[in-house]
Amino acid sequence: MPRFLHTADWQIGRQYDRFGPEDGPALAQARLTTVERIAALATELAVDAVLVAGDVFDAQTISDRTVRRLFMALQGFGGPWVMLPGNHDAALAESIWSRARRLNAIPDNVHVLLTAEPLLLAEQGLAILPAPLTQRQTFSDLTDWFDHAPTPLHLLRIGLAHGSVQGILAEDIDSPNPIDPQRAAHARLDYLALGDWHGCRQIDDRTWYSGTPEQDRFKSNGAGQVLDVQIDAPGAAPQVKPVAMGEFTWLQWQRRLQVASDLDALIEELEQIERSSVISLTLEGELDLAGEQRLQAALGRAEARHRVLECQLDGMRLLPTEADIAALQVDGYLDEVVGQLRDMQQADEPEVAREALAILAGLLRERQAGGAAV
Amino acid sequence: MKLEQLRISQFRQFREPLVIDGFGPGLNLICGPNESGKSTLVRAIRAAFFERHSSGTLTDLRPWGDSGAAPEVELRFSHADRQWQLSKRFLQRKRCDLTIDGQRFNGDEAEEQLAAMLGFNVASRGASKAEHWGIPGLLWIEQGMGQELDEAVSHAGDHLKSVLGASLGEVTSSGGDEVIRQARVQLDELLTGTGKPRGDYKLSGERIAVLDEELQALDQRIGAYRQQVDRLGELRQQQAGDEADKPWEALRVQQQEAERKYAEVQRQTEEQQRDLQALEQVRGHRQIVLEQLRSHEEQAKDLQQRQGKCQQLQQQLEQLAGQQAELVAAQDAALAAYQQAQQQERQARQWARRETLERERQRLLKQQQQLQLSLEQARLLQNELVTQQQALAAVRINDQQLAQLEQLHNQLRELDIRQQSIATRLRYELLPGQQLSLDQQQLSGSDELLLLQETQLDIAGIGKLIITPGGQDLATLARKTEHARDQLQVLLEQLRVSSLDEAREQLQLAKAQNAAIHANRKLLASHAPAGIEALEQDAAGVVARLAELEQELGALEMPVGEAAVATAAVDTGLAEQILQQAAAQLQQREAATGKHNEQLIGLRQNLASAEEECRLLQTRLDDPQHMQQQRKLNDNLLTLRAEEARLEQQSNERAARIASARPDILQQDIQRYRSSAAQLEQGFNQRREELLALQGRLQGEGADGLEEHRASLAAELESEHRRYHQLDRRARALALLHNLLSEKRQQLTRRLQAPLQKHLDHYLQLLFPQATLEVDENLMPGRLLRHGQDASEFATLSFGAREQMGLISRLAYADLLREAGRPTLIILDDALVHSDQPRLGQMKRILFDAAQRHQVLLFSCHPDKWRDMGVPVRELEGLKTAAIEG
Repeated sequence: MPRFLHTADWQIGRQYDRFGPEDGPALAQARLTTVERIAALATELAVDAVLVAGDVFDAQTISDRTVRRLFMALQGFGGPWVMLPGNHDAALAESIWSRARRLNAIPDNVHVLLTAEPLLLAEQGLAILPAPLTQRQTFSDLTDWFDHAPTPLHLLRIGLAHGSVQGILAEDIDSPNPIDPQRAAHARLDYLALGDWHGCRQIDDRTWYSGTPEQDRFKSNGAGQVLDVQIDAPGAAPQVKPVAMGEFTWLQWQRRLQVASDLDALIEELEQIERSSVISLTLEGELDLAGEQRLQAALGRAEARHRVLECQLDGMRLLPTEADIAALQVDGYLDEVVGQLRDMQQADEPEVAREALAILAGLLRERQAGGAAV
Repeated sequence: MKLEQLRISQFRQFREPLVIDGFGPGLNLICGPNESGKSTLVRAIRAAFFERHSSGTLTDLRPWGDSGAAPEVELRFSHADRQWQLSKRFLQRKRCDLTIDGQRFNGDEAEEQLAAMLGFNVASRGASKAEHWGIPGLLWIEQGMGQELDEAVSHAGDHLKSVLGASLGEVTSSGGDEVIRQARVQLDELLTGTGKPRGDYKLSGERIAVLDEELQALDQRIGAYRQQVDRLGELRQQQAGDEADKPWEALRVQQQEAERKYAEVQRQTEEQQRDLQALEQVRGHRQIVLEQLRSHEEQAKDLQQRQGKCQQLQQQLEQLAGQQAELVAAQDAALAAYQQAQQQERQARQWARRETLERERQRLLKQQQQLQLSLEQARLLQNELVTQQQALAAVRINDQQLAQLEQLHNQLRELDIRQQSIATRLRYELLPGQQLSLDQQQLSGSDELLLLQETQLDIAGIGKLIITPGGQDLATLARKTEHARDQLQVLLEQLRVSSLDEAREQLQLAKAQNAAIHANRKLLASHAPAGIEALEQDAAGVVARLAELEQELGALEMPVGEAAVATAAVDTGLAEQILQQAAAQLQQREAATGKHNEQLIGLRQNLASAEEECRLLQTRLDDPQHMQQQRKLNDNLLTLRAEEARLEQQSNERAARIASARPDILQQDIQRYRSSAAQLEQGFNQRREELLALQGRLQGEGADGLEEHRASLAAELESEHRRYHQLDRRARALALLHNLLSEKRQQLTRRLQAPLQKHLDHYLQLLFPQATLEVDENLMPGRLLRHGQDASEFATLSFGAREQMGLISRLAYADLLREAGRPTLIILDDALVHSDQPRLGQMKRILFDAAQRHQVLLFSCHPDKWRDMGVPVRELEGLKTAAIEG
């Protein structure tokens, strides 16, 4: 009763420096710790093997240190790891794999399938048919050969490939490496483990994209899981169970704030995210100064709680109310300036006017605070 | 605001309580000499309002040396229809009590009320300073400070502005300037004065440029790296293919095949070479045989020819022998003719000689006669010439001598004439018969004599008369005459003539003789040019020659008979000609005979040798060995022709085969296959090395983590872009905000200034008609524009003018404040001390006018100066006395 984990698209070495010197490395590190968790899970579930369907590494020229760290992260599972080169880490003449081999970093229980030859794991009851990418992009179906590849009858026929299933996935997929949607049937596969699509997705009974175990982009498509696959015997239907693995959830929200309750709802929503996440928030609409202050406070709290909080407020307009103005004790010509800035948000460069208004409000508040302190 | 009562005690010089009341609503003049306490009163009012009652540092308020004193000030005043009473005690039992219409305030609260009412700030600790004083600082002018306005205005600024704003019925900004300043500060952090990025903003822009550049460089490296990886893959594939196929080996096989073919062609070519050589030899042999056969034929033909020649020669010989007799006869005839001609020619020559001799003899005879004649003539002439020359020799005179003679003669004649002209004339006419003796010479008749010398005239009978011619000259002349006569005589004798005429005649004669001699000589020369003797010799010669001729003629034999006649007829030239013709004829005949003989001899020799040759040839041809040789040669010829044909055919066929095999192309094939194989193999080896090198390079580069680094850079760049964008937006927002604020503030200020300007103008017109005083945004007086004068800044005005402008400005501020319902108490401590009389006069009008609206306390030590202000002057000393009395 073979059981294995299907995962893919680890993209080790991916950089998140745009999130700053603190969050960037943390997100990169998260990918490695997720691998460690996969190892732990494999051990815990006592699976027979872990199949990684390509893009283990994000690029060919990843530093030696990162390469070593990846293979060290596998230590938690002593069974066979089966790795396939994907488009990011294709088995080129000189590749990250040849380097890893030179570095002597690949443990013995890791099988890197650089050539299109079956790997027989008799002990585990698995015959793995790999379709490694030996170029960054191919336009032929590398899984063709599966159809005619004989394997011992008592072993499960497991296909391992990296690319896009033709006619199923959207056009904006990562690579043009095509895969026949009927491949599992044609090649009499018990299971076809696919990589490249970062979300978790079932193609048919026997064909799955596991998605990346650690989410790496704002796309809510089931990323952050591995597949726990169990197949009773050759020909039996696989039982596939997604297991959440990711450390950070990536959330991308777009909200429109129109009335005061919209803000309340947003703040409520932010407060309710439990796990530390990577959040991209795009807001548009209108706020008065008091609302803006509340929003900033809520964002400040969220920023502290979550790994990353990116806010896009260019679509927001600050519309101070009478109450705002009274609260800021705006008098004289300052009042006129406030009014003018409010009106300018309707014209060109509204974000400049908004920011000017926010600065003014900030200065006024400071003044007030200073005045109050005396 | 109207001050009603002031009470102080234990306050500096006022140790005792002093109460001043009865302040009027307008101007109040309080005068006193120096040190009388005017400034102390002002200080007391200030202390009452400004100083915190709780302050412990105000020891200067105590009377000097009284450390236990508690300075105290009490003020009563009305403002806004309310009664205010303020009581403040310092240093001891400190307290502050304020009652406003019965409502009481104590301590700090009371002080806050006061500050708000008057518009100043309470010092947080210690003594109150100028910056706290606000509006009172402006309206209460301390001694000697009337000209200083800047500080006071700036400290009162906010109060003034808010008051002014209120007076316009608008809400001004209470903290606008601070906001503007803050905005400016924040803007300055991002932009320079000229609007260029600075600080973080600038660094961010620069960082983006740096990152962009790095990223590009890295992209290039990654691109190159990827290309090299691809190249590595290609090379590996090629190498593996080559290793499996070893394509150069196939080429080598092809090369060997080509080489084999080429060797075959080579072999055939050699055979061909041999065959061609053999063919050449056969052809040579055949040629030789042919030549030998031809020589045999030629020998037979030669014999025939030679035999024919022999016959011909024989015929010729016979012909020549026939001609010989004829030739001999002809020669003999010619010899006879020659001998006859020779005889005739000799005779003709003798006859011609005789003729010549005879002609010469005739000529010589004639010459002899002529010579004889000439000789006779010449001898005659010779004799005549001798005679003539003798006659000529007798004559001695010549032309020169004749000329000398004639000269002497003429001289004599002249002297004679002169003698006669000066001589004494003696004329005598004697009677017939009478005589006279003159120097013994008898004279008779009549005549005339010239007496040239003393002459004695003897008259018979009478005696004698001696006449002496007068004068010296006569004697001289006589002497000269004598001398000349002597000379003449000598010459005549010399010439052997008696007179001049004879001399002439002789000379003429000599000349004639000379001419005759000359003619005769010429004649003689024609007869005997070489002299008579030569002529004689010639004649003798002719005679001798004649004798010779006679002898020769006699010797010549004369022909006789007909021969003589014939001979005489034949000319010698003709004879010679005939002889020559005969000789030539003879010679010709002899030559013909000789030639004929030679021909004969030659022919005979030729014939002999020809006959010999014919014999030899015949012998050879008849030799049996020769016959056999000829047969053999003919056989050889046949054999050789057959061999030649065989070889030609064989080599032609082989040549076609060789040509079709194209050995040149075969050689090229070999070359081509060989170098292709070598290149492939070399390429293989080179590729192996390139592979190793490329692999090494890529291994090095791969470890650098290029793409990781690139991702990191790209992320940083993106983040920096965001940051730059934020900074940029912030900068623009700040600029916008600052501009808006400044603009608004400026607009407002201009509106605020309007009422102040109005009040300023009101006072200024009293001092300088038609002048204006500008006010800047801080409400400070700026430029003063006076009619007909240059504008001048407040700060540059004279001390007195500044004091005057300062007071005017303060009064204008007071008017503003009053319009806004704010308290306006004006205190002047010794004001306008620097103004001249006319200005002071005007300022008094201004002050008086202001006092219609404001309470003014004026302290002065010059009471007489202010007597015309329409109010009583209160003497401080008097007030003190009253207090003591009270």
